[in-house]
Amino acid sequence: MRICLLSWEFPPRIVGGIARHVFGLAKALVKKGHEVGVVTLDFPGTPDYEEIEGVKVYRSKTEVGHPNFLTWAFLFNHFLEKRLATANRDMNFDIIHIHDWLVAPAGIAFKHLLKKPLVCTMHSTEHGRSTLHGPDSYMIDGMEWWACYEADRAIVTSNSMQGEVCGHFHVPREKTDVVPNGIEVEKYDLEVDRWATRRRYGVGDNDKMILFIGRLVPQKGVEYLIRTASRIGWRFPEARFVIVGEGWMRSHLEWLANQTGQRWRINFTGFIPDSELVALTKGADVMVVPSVYEPFGIVALEAMAARVPVVASQVGGLAEVVEHDKTGVHVYPRSPDSIAWGVERVLSDQGYRDWLVKNAYETVTKRFSWQAIGEQTAEVYKKALKGDNS
Amino acid sequence: MSGYPPVAPSYKVPEEFLFLCMLHNIGAVNTTRAITIEEISKWTERETSEIQYNLSKLQELGYVLTIQESRADRFHVSPSGIRKVLTLYS
Repeated sequence: MRICLLSWEFPPRIVGGIARHVFGLAKALVKKGHEVGVVTLDFPGTPDYEEIEGVKVYRSKTEVGHPNFLTWAFLFNHFLEKRLATANRDMNFDIIHIHDWLVAPAGIAFKHLLKKPLVCTMHSTEHGRSTLHGPDSYMIDGMEWWACYEADRAIVTSNSMQGEVCGHFHVPREKTDVVPNGIEVEKYDLEVDRWATRRRYGVGDNDKMILFIGRLVPQKGVEYLIRTASRIGWRFPEARFVIVGEGWMRSHLEWLANQTGQRWRINFTGFIPDSELVALTKGADVMVVPSVYEPFGIVALEAMAARVPVVASQVGGLAEVVEHDKTGVHVYPRSPDSIAWGVERVLSDQGYRDWLVKNAYETVTKRFSWQAIGEQTAEVYKKALKGDNS
Repeated sequence: MSGYPPVAPSYKVPEEFLFLCMLHNIGAVNTTRAITIEEISKWTERETSEIQYNLSKLQELGYVLTIQESRADRFHVSPSGIRKVLTLYS
């Protein structure tokens, strides 16, 4: 098949999990013998066109802007359409696969223009991210509905998301497929100097490193982790928190960290590149995923692949990725008490930690390899090409 | 009393961050598309003093870069600023 993946995020334009997902999926499909073109937005220092590990990447410049975000989003979709036309002349796509509402206008236009099937992956919903508020939010919600309506098949990454999409947008369940996010497990098998990496982030050899990786936005629940600093610090004086990521809440979270009186043990690193992220994850003693809304939670998979125990909120797809007391520890969302309990449970019992890590690694290699996810996604494409809605 | 520090009564997207989003959305995202304070003012209908205040905060944080020129300095969002903006929408 000749497949077009349309996404507003693609490395090095990395914000959340979508860029990594699209890149991982593209490489897996190429390995299976498909031709894959990714059409995406530009980023400073990147070429308009390049081939990365067999994936043809077409980047689009947005030549006209507007201060309003939604107006800008529609403008960049126009420029994406132009780039899509170039890519289609080169590759003559069989199928178009869009990722989230931001690229829906371009994808839907091309579905009708080329008369080719459209597949849509809904990574999250506006309704779930923020509950609906104000005109922009309602419009995004409408765009998400529209993308699902126009798609021949809708992919969701968890059973929880399937319930959300079918319930909120009234999408027939038989039109949806659950295909989880994948992970390159082998990336985490590389030897790294764990101790040197920890030291770069202010974590000593005898310290307990509690790691968070994600966008600094309300849905990630970082504030509830920061509020545990005193309690965990009292129980484990050697505890150090490393908070990796960017987001509009950063200044608020730094303020909150100061309020705990434990600022000295909390390091906000900002954005760090992928290569460093692997080393940092492998250096952690525990990864905490304190999300209050999480359709999937790829960061939990990354920790599982890196053989680091995971403490995760029992929400959405995250609760499906991490199995309580087997591949990680579930805690209540929005509860510092519960998060602190989970961290203490893991840090205080080496045998338990080893058991979780062993089970988690087995699970991640069996269920979440990109090879498996690529095969499942290709099956969805075949259904879409056949017009099969069952 | 839980013993935990309080959550701030309310928090919202900081003003300088919204300004950074506008700068990004109008396309000032690299050296060739960097723009002057006067141009930003025309685009956003904001006072130049307010723009200067926000720009200096964002420069300190590394989210905006400056190109110094004899006529008027030009500004654009840095790669880390672009990533920061996208977190609002992703």
